[in-house]
Amino acid sequence: MEYVNPEGLRLDGRRFNEMRQIVAEVGVVSKADGSAVFEMGNTKVIAAVYGPREIQNKSLQKKDDHALVLCEYSMAQFSTGDRRRQKFDRRSTELSLVIRQTMEACILTELLPHSQIDIFLQVLQADGGTRSACINAATLALADAGIPMRDLAVSCSAGYLNSTPLLDLNYVEDSAGGADVTVGILPKLDKVTLLQMDAKLPMETFKTVFALASEGCKAIAERIREVLQENTKQLEYRRAA
Amino acid sequence: MGLPDSSQDLSTEMEVDAFRRIFPLRFFERHLSESLRPDARPLGKARDTIVNPGLVSTADGSALAKIGSTTMLAAIRMEVMTPSTDSPDEGCIALEFHMPPICSPTVRPGRPADAAPVISKRLSDTILSSGMVDLKELCLVSGKAAWMGYLDIYCLNADGALFDAALLSAVAAFSNLEIPVVALNDNGRIVAISGGKDEDNASIIEKKAVNKEKRKLTLKNIPFSLTCILHKNYILADPTTEEESIMDTLVTVVLDASDQMVSLYKSGGTVLAYSSAVKSCVELARKRAKELKQILGEMDID
Repeated sequence: MEYVNPEGLRLDGRRFNEMRQIVAEVGVVSKADGSAVFEMGNTKVIAAVYGPREIQNKSLQKKDDHALVLCEYSMAQFSTGDRRRQKFDRRSTELSLVIRQTMEACILTELLPHSQIDIFLQVLQADGGTRSACINAATLALADAGIPMRDLAVSCSAGYLNSTPLLDLNYVEDSAGGADVTVGILPKLDKVTLLQMDAKLPMETFKTVFALASEGCKAIAERIREVLQENTKQLEYRRAA
Repeated sequence: MGLPDSSQDLSTEMEVDAFRRIFPLRFFERHLSESLRPDARPLGKARDTIVNPGLVSTADGSALAKIGSTTMLAAIRMEVMTPSTDSPDEGCIALEFHMPPICSPTVRPGRPADAAPVISKRLSDTILSSGMVDLKELCLVSGKAAWMGYLDIYCLNADGALFDAALLSAVAAFSNLEIPVVALNDNGRIVAISGGKDEDNASIIEKKAVNKEKRKLTLKNIPFSLTCILHKNYILADPTTEEESIMDTLVTVVLDASDQMVSLYKSGGTVLAYSSAVKSCVELARKRAKELKQILGEMDID
């Protein structure tokens, strides 16, 4: 099947280095301490952060003078194609762990000892790149909750199909069987927190795909920064009023 | 009331927020005596309600309903199944209500919320008993194939009146539902026909299309509900979480569009209601049903 036509257009009309449309909004769940909606094309994710609050299950606490970060990823039953999903399958558990570790690396947990930070992610629509959308949404929600972080954790995926590196794969491109590289970086510190890949790639190609994904991450970081600044401006207006 | 009036003295010194947290009942009663609630609503008025259809593109029908801050997202997926031998001409609806941990600080991961299965069952009973959906419309081939509608309702923000918002989103999702086009292929199985590839499908459509175009369900007797809190002589319509946590007697009335009562629910609580209180609740529910009918009507036109 042709994923990139001879003119360089993909199935949805994008070029190889174009991302899908991003819609991001902060403060959507009034009951949560911090919340955000993040959409990348048709992938829609809601993140809610509760914390810092009292630790509910002391047996989970490993480090005494650091905050405990918990993360739960779940997909709505109607979020994907034809089949209904099992509520807590292995993929959800794996993703919960991956996202937790990514966010934990970027939260300043030593500033909030003896407390728990809960990050809940709910995928409402899945069209590829849910992992990345979740990390981006979690970053926004943590910022909305006022939890101190080292940097914004942003994530983007890239793949390699029809001998072309492609940025931000959707579901059809992802299931094509080519490589899928998901990268999570801390843009200001220029460090990689998450790197996952499946399928085989020669080293040189991998470097190109990785570089493309990192570029995507930087673009998302810009957007997230804009959203947060706009949000702060709104809060300032309300406070002044 | 029994509390000494020391709170009276404290109240002049304390900040409003602190008073609200430490003496919540007194805080609310001060407002109720002026026939108001802390968010400035009169006692019988419900919060602003918004309904948005068609948000989830992967589902066959969906809607988002917001009553104040309480947000519910309902989506329906249709799948083909074999009908049971008792009712070969009828399809089926499976309803599930989820309260994911994002909706409220009291919901812990790994442990379903206490309210969730209760609301799930009540919703299921209300929708099936109201007769809103004629299950015979969900039949494809008598005895062999019928539609099974999986309705999933997710609470995205829990701020009181969960049942009302969930019912509203379910009803809106049903009115947004478009049944996909299918055909019977040569093996006698039902296959979905997607938009593209007309040449392949044209032959199937000519021969054995079971339904020619995406159609909507005809909904009759649409149920509308209103939850009220009873506290002493006061009846508060459409409570928030804060109000529900302090005053525990809830009455839910479900009426349909022709003013018939579909369901009445009062499960215990410290206040024992006289029949006059129940009648007042029904009156409030009637007014609310008119409002909701108008909101749904506007939604359909869009």
